[in-house]
Amino acid sequence: MIRLMNMTARAAAVAAITLATIAAPAARAQVLDIATDASPVGLDPHVATSFATFVVVSNIYEGLTAIEKDLRIVPALADKWTISADSLTYDFHIRAGASFHNGRAVTPQDIIANIERIRDPKTASPLSSRVASVKTMEATGSDSLRITLAAPSAPFLSQLGTIAIVAPEAIPELGRKPVGTGPYQFKEWVPDTYIALDRNPGYWDKGLPAISGLKFHIVPDAATRQAGVMGGTYKLIPVADAATAAALKGKPGVKLLETQDLAYSLIGVNTTRAPFDKPAVREALNMALDRAQIVQAVYFGRGVVGGPLSPALANWALPVTDFPCYKPDAEGAKKKLAEAGVTLPLKMTLKVIGSLPQAVDASQVIQAQLNKAGFEITLNVQEQGKFIADWRASDFDGFVSLNGGNPDPDDYFGRTFQTGGATNVFKYSNPDLDKLLADGRMETDAGKRKPIYDAAQKILACQGPVMHIAYGTLFAAARDELQGFSPMPTRSLRTLRDAKLAK
Amino acid sequence: MTRAVLIRFGEMLFVAFGVSVLTFLMIHLIPGDAAQIMLGAADATPEKIAVLRAKLGLDRPLIMQYGLWIGHALTGDLGTSIWTGRPVIEEIAGRVGVTAEVTLLGLASAITIAIPAGCLMATMRSSVSDYAMRIVSIAGVTIPSFWLGTMLIFGTSALLPGAQVVGYVPFGQDAWGNLQRMILPVIALALPAVAALSRVIRAAMLEALTQDYVRTARAKGVSEARVIFTHALRNALIPFVTAVGIILGYQFGGSVVIEQVFALPGLGRLVVGAITERNYPLIQAAILLATVVFVVVNFLVDVLYLAIDPRARG
Repeated sequence: MIRLMNMTARAAAVAAITLATIAAPAARAQVLDIATDASPVGLDPHVATSFATFVVVSNIYEGLTAIEKDLRIVPALADKWTISADSLTYDFHIRAGASFHNGRAVTPQDIIANIERIRDPKTASPLSSRVASVKTMEATGSDSLRITLAAPSAPFLSQLGTIAIVAPEAIPELGRKPVGTGPYQFKEWVPDTYIALDRNPGYWDKGLPAISGLKFHIVPDAATRQAGVMGGTYKLIPVADAATAAALKGKPGVKLLETQDLAYSLIGVNTTRAPFDKPAVREALNMALDRAQIVQAVYFGRGVVGGPLSPALANWALPVTDFPCYKPDAEGAKKKLAEAGVTLPLKMTLKVIGSLPQAVDASQVIQAQLNKAGFEITLNVQEQGKFIADWRASDFDGFVSLNGGNPDPDDYFGRTFQTGGATNVFKYSNPDLDKLLADGRMETDAGKRKPIYDAAQKILACQGPVMHIAYGTLFAAARDELQGFSPMPTRSLRTLRDAKLAK
Repeated sequence: MTRAVLIRFGEMLFVAFGVSVLTFLMIHLIPGDAAQIMLGAADATPEKIAVLRAKLGLDRPLIMQYGLWIGHALTGDLGTSIWTGRPVIEEIAGRVGVTAEVTLLGLASAITIAIPAGCLMATMRSSVSDYAMRIVSIAGVTIPSFWLGTMLIFGTSALLPGAQVVGYVPFGQDAWGNLQRMILPVIALALPAVAALSRVIRAAMLEALTQDYVRTARAKGVSEARVIFTHALRNALIPFVTAVGIILGYQFGGSVVIEQVFALPGLGRLVVGAITERNYPLIQAAILLATVVFVVVNFLVDVLYLAIDPRARG
């Protein structure tokens, strides 16, 4: 009997040791190895807005609000807020327990300092237009804050979700040593090698995150990232291109995740150059395009034809069947051009952004399609710097490019299509649309906003200065053990907050 | 001998000067205004362009700009990196070690394998093994190292999943981890060099083995190993040394691709990054440095050549 107990005890001890040895590496493996393609230029979220930066800082920072994967607005640093009846005054309550990675609690003054910094022309922040509507800001208590707007702004709450709140005392070194409030905190950055983040033990959402650290390996070669995730060196590729996604499909231990991209391919035209000033000519361009063919040829079928708003904005985007000009009709396009008094063939040069292979591929299909419909297209594939300079100076008949998207319709339409808008390089001006956009911005009732933007989409889809073509699919590849992560249309990695590593 | 060395030295200075002028002119030859292109369209206001032009000294006359640039370069000041604000020389110094490690390990492995392999091929001329090795070596010369690198990674990830073979750990921090991650890049970089160098040795050995002194040595009854390694090899090494100098330059260039594939934070990655960011001072400095290394290595090879082969001194 004693002997038996002894044996049992021994077996238990062996089991315990075995378990311990298995458990020990498992505990270490709690760091999530991520393969990303490029080094960020800097980690200051108010200045650097490229994807390479965003993929890292979306784990370090939060805004007053946050944008969920279905593009809903949810509380983040502000746990609740009230909006006055005239939609001008926002009272935010800062979440108890929200603190910076240096341990200091978030105060209303911090929020004010952040918005001031973005508004300051010296910061030269690309986000400044998102807080342009703010008139005054004041702390109304130790944990509350009032923001007054100059005019009602429906997208304000969603725009706040894109404003990362940084610790003001960390600003001098923010590009290298970010200090925020998010689920992960900065540990170290070895240039062109990796950026390591640690779990933030003081995160306000107690118990989160489950993963003890993130390590962003900078791996420039797509094939290396692919092999790395197949072999298990990397557990996540946050954005995989279509070719990598196709190669990883069905590989054991690897799962492909996908979401609708907000970014889209487009043709833009200069509405001050004849004959593109005529709405009928722009309609003919739309009719001449066979968008489904472009999705097949350029997106390998992994994309959807879309109108002026991404199908990811499910609450806003109209189905393309609502746009008559989306039915490919080369003969109809020719007729339209003739009616507009254009002599065929209509010569047109399309400038193409050379740094985006997808845009270059698309431009060739577009050229073939338009040439069948009475156009004579010359493609001019340009070096990125030259393309952007010409784009900025509105020096084009037309261009082919890819544009990033936005979770609120107003942010995109206002900037791009309103008379004098910041990125209205098309010099487009349509009083009817201007009025709709002004109304839409003032209207904060979602139910009443919807018909306004429906009307705006109908104007823009066929006769606007942009021929929206297609929205791609965003892929992420992850090892099976990564659970609870899902890619977001905004390309934020916010869901890593709730993710965990099994095994 | 001294005169020959001095001539080579003069040639080296001339090449270095020519390259420095070309590198300097690069910033002026790109279409459009460099400052505007560096800033990109999004925030290139006329004021910002003017500030950057002044910072880069682009508002001065061309000759003066070159004089200042080369003067600073000679004192070790290659300018400031546009985006990080750190001295370019520091940025480069932080990376050059990785590139040097992979390049030198690659070259050393290549030499170690190429010499015996070349001798073997020469002595077994026209045998099956000679043909086999020649086919392998042609494959080695033709296969691009990025493809080879990628295949090595795929192979390893299939056979040894989880093995840490890409990325970089400093040697001082984790010697074994460092060497482990060097294995595949060194193979990818060394294989083409092995192929090229062993063919040089083979050809030179074949020629040397037909020489009179080899026949004399054999006639004296010297052992075959001694004939090959002492008499023939010493002469075969002359073209080999020249080839090594050239190969080192290629290795330096090839490491740009290898660093991309194996995610090594070397000089090549730094330059590729600088090109995409339009960080001209960094690009200029790196090109200048790479050229100077290449020219100096070739000069040293020439000197070595003079030392090995008295006939070249004339």
